[in-house]
Amino acid sequence: MLNPSLVIARKEIVDGWRDARSVISCMMFALMGPSVVGLVSLAPGIKGASGPLVGLMSVFTLVAAFVGGMNVAMDTVAGERERRSLLPLLLNPVDRRDVILGKWLAVSLFSVVGLTCNLLGFAVVFVISDMHLNAPWPRLLLAMLIGVFPLALLAASIQLLLSTACRSVKEAQTYLSMVVFLPMGVGMFLVFFPAARQTWFSFLPVLGQQLHLLRLMDGRDLPLLQSIGLGCLTLWLAILVVLVSSSRLQRDEIIYGN
Amino acid sequence: MRKLSFQAPDGVITGLLGANGAGKTTTLRMICGVLKPDSGSIFFEDAAGDPLARQRRVGALLDHMGIYSRLTARENLVYFGRLRGMSPEYLKERVGQVLSVLGLESIGDRRTSGFSQGERMKTALGRAILHAPQNLLLDEPTNGLDVPTVRSLRDLLKRLRDAGTCIVFSSHVLDEVRALCDRVVILSNGSLIAQGSPSELCSRTETTSLEEAFVKLTCSPETSQC
Repeated sequence: MLNPSLVIARKEIVDGWRDARSVISCMMFALMGPSVVGLVSLAPGIKGASGPLVGLMSVFTLVAAFVGGMNVAMDTVAGERERRSLLPLLLNPVDRRDVILGKWLAVSLFSVVGLTCNLLGFAVVFVISDMHLNAPWPRLLLAMLIGVFPLALLAASIQLLLSTACRSVKEAQTYLSMVVFLPMGVGMFLVFFPAARQTWFSFLPVLGQQLHLLRLMDGRDLPLLQSIGLGCLTLWLAILVVLVSSSRLQRDEIIYGN
Repeated sequence: MRKLSFQAPDGVITGLLGANGAGKTTTLRMICGVLKPDSGSIFFEDAAGDPLARQRRVGALLDHMGIYSRLTARENLVYFGRLRGMSPEYLKERVGQVLSVLGLESIGDRRTSGFSQGERMKTALGRAILHAPQNLLLDEPTNGLDVPTVRSLRDLLKRLRDAGTCIVFSSHVLDEVRALCDRVVILSNGSLIAQGSPSELCSRTETTSLEEAFVKLTCSPETSQC
């Protein structure tokens, strides 16, 4: 017998996978970055040059980690409230912490799949274009995947928390779309204003990951302890946000709908 | 809800009767353990128990059907059976039985997105009885159903009652309550107004029908209604 969290995660993954809109949206956002970078890299006059393009690549990768699970996050709590299927779920003898944990696992999986597809898309771009990189691309992409992985889990937890505060998918869509501005804004800021970078940025989620990505793309090695510390802090924050979401699920307003 | 105290024995269909907003759904939600009463206790066979313990002993179909439209009827049932920790062998056997009892065998492997209101209701009812609960709570389960489906639902509930299941059934449709319930609990404005068998309520109010008894009981000046 599976743990209730795993039962819920499995159902949400099957449900999310069968939602064509969710899958198409996840893939489109994941492949948006590689498509843009690939097309620009092939443009006359830019061909072969990589500088700002590589910087933009890191922004697209951060965004992919945030949008991969966005639709599933909307559907899994706000959607359940809208369809009135949350109450029948809560009628089962399952701790509400397990309910949220299961949903978080499913959203995280979609976020990580979005991130992986994004990096695979960049792999194709590197193969078909002759962009100059400061590091071998397989090593670069693997390091990016490992570095951004905890951020995908944090993104999933933030999206799930917002989804618990919304009564419909449409409402959730409004707020969750705003969250995407976080990696986009932070990423753009650090790419185009390098002088503003501070050492302590490296210890903050999103900012830290972006700085690490830029460092990797410059061909420099990452300070191992700092990277592990940032990963652990991001993961700890993700778990904290999941716990806040599960406490929200204890409220009567979840049952009454307002 | 206030001043609410009643018993629902095994092998009896207890009807919660009241106007809209009387507190029927809230009462059922509290019994199920999804809403916590500010004070008071809910006992199952003389044991209070925490909400999760109560939920293990209850099958419920409240006002939300909540069927997953991208899953088949069978997948919906299997999901909730797994959540209740049913073993794979027992779950497979029960899902087959429930689909058969509810007449859903032929469409059990279809996604529920194309189901009619009655088929959805049957699937939701299947979810409530899947684990063969000793206590079954139903909140206006016949809403929106056609006559044949209502009749088959009534037959099923009578069979479950005869097998010793405690059934609490809420409705504001008097004909339905009269046709099904052995005992009636009348609520108004969140309070208990009266309880007893339909005939007891009629004799107490000196009326000849449950409808007249209900009107007489709920339209008194004390309840400030009517």
